[in-house]
Amino acid sequence: MMQRPRPTLLIFGAIGSLLLLNLVLPIANLLIQADWAHWTASLRDPRAGDALRTSALTSTITVAIMTLFGVPLGYVLARGRLPFKQLLISLVFLPMVVPGLAGGILLLLTFGPYGTLGGPLSAWNVALTGNPAGIVLAQLYVSSPFVIISALVAFTSVDPKLEMAAALLGDSQWQIFRRISLPLAWPGIAAGVTLAWIRALGEFGATMIVAYNPHTLPVYLWVKFESNGLKGALPVAFLLVVMAAVAVAISTLLGRLNKNESSTAVPGAVRGNLA
Amino acid sequence: MENGVGPAFSKATGYEYKGEAHGSLGAARFIRDHLRTPDVFISADPSVNRNILMGPGNGDLVTWFVTLASSQLVLAYNPKSPFAPKFEAASVVDTKTPWYEILETPGVRFGRGDPTIDPKGYRTLFLFSLAGKHYQRQEIPALLGEPLNPAQVLPEVALLANVESGQFDAGFFYKHEIVAQKLPFVGLPPEINLGDPRFSDSYAQATYTTPAGEHVSGAPIIFTITIPKTVQNPAAAEAFVKFLLSSPDLLKGFGFGIVEHQVGGDREQIPSDLRGLCAGAYKP
Repeated sequence: MMQRPRPTLLIFGAIGSLLLLNLVLPIANLLIQADWAHWTASLRDPRAGDALRTSALTSTITVAIMTLFGVPLGYVLARGRLPFKQLLISLVFLPMVVPGLAGGILLLLTFGPYGTLGGPLSAWNVALTGNPAGIVLAQLYVSSPFVIISALVAFTSVDPKLEMAAALLGDSQWQIFRRISLPLAWPGIAAGVTLAWIRALGEFGATMIVAYNPHTLPVYLWVKFESNGLKGALPVAFLLVVMAAVAVAISTLLGRLNKNESSTAVPGAVRGNLA
Repeated sequence: MENGVGPAFSKATGYEYKGEAHGSLGAARFIRDHLRTPDVFISADPSVNRNILMGPGNGDLVTWFVTLASSQLVLAYNPKSPFAPKFEAASVVDTKTPWYEILETPGVRFGRGDPTIDPKGYRTLFLFSLAGKHYQRQEIPALLGEPLNPAQVLPEVALLANVESGQFDAGFFYKHEIVAQKLPFVGLPPEINLGDPRFSDSYAQATYTTPAGEHVSGAPIIFTITIPKTVQNPAAAEAFVKFLLSSPDLLKGFGFGIVEHQVGGDREQIPSDLRGLCAGAYKP
């Protein structure tokens, strides 16, 4: 059955597709100009594989830590009666404003071998820079605001009446969180987690300062560009695009699984928000 | 460049100056891959012109270059490092504390450039191999470990950030970088610091092969300047080159060494106004 065309949607669609074009064209261009034979050869370089593994491993650890710590923080910021709450929320935004390079230097001053925290730790032979731990620290710094803010917004948008009703029926605060607030807020949180994951995967500036070795994919991309020019960098750029797509796919899948298994209705996480 | 030479040029000529700093290899590749179209290109290594920008294979983007100044490797250190007094002692003439003995001390952290992407990285390798011969101590080159030793190797910005913030006690840099950053440093003898053209022959005995298979050998650290084919403001570009070729004191003040302005490539292609400032042919 034909739907009647709706002018507002048509106009919005036309405006929006211009922006979409700006996002999609560079990547389409990359694929059109692809030199597949050379690309597959250069991606078989063991250093590319190492960078891929490093990126996959560290960004996954980062996502786990961000979710585990960021969701409770978002909940407290949304529901808690805190002094200086607005100030705390602005603090969470801070890393998004600080350029990666500056963020990396700040992290170095804190966690480096002579840093405020890193100094005492290095006496115990614990190093937090120049290794995967440093990469995770840099990724956490730049991407966890996405999780915290999306959790804050998602919990705030849950109708407090539902939580109050559950409280009146005798649910404990944990039960209310587990059965009402979290399921209702989950789609928004999941979208934030996906964004944060992609941001962590693409992190370059802070990572390069805090942990140049082992190379993550973005650092390896830069090294390849500096040593081989565009020819060296483009295949790695392609690999990064593929990884981001995989991260989105996994997030979507997890959102769906959650919907099917859970007794409470959890809407498809990323589908609902990103699609 | 951005903080000293550029503003001095604007003040002297009235032309606007917009600089963009990259490693020489990276900058040249930017130009060759048509990602940047500069009016002037300054390289920290004459061979970068030859290998990446000159010749029909590279679209003849550069046809000539002039040697501008020299620099040398120094060992810069953080003044707050626990080992700073030792480095300071090493920096005086006729010192009893040789710099390499400090680097041998357990607990000292020092960094160096990445030989894969940065001429300074492989030049530091040359420095250590020359030092082993100069001081007749074969354990000096061993201080570096593997050429790409992850405990030492960092890209340019990160290396500077690590030494300035005190996470590394020391690092190997060009002298002009350290003069600009106002960090204390230990000067190294001309036989090993790659800053003195008189030692070209002995520098050339140090060699390195990059992971990409490029063979490089030691040579004096010479900066070159050229106006590539990408030039969009020829008059301003000429004024800038002229200004630099005729301001030795300015360059000296920024830590550079003075050299004859020798010509690489095709002398006929040099704008006639600049030709008068140039000396004989550059021999690598």
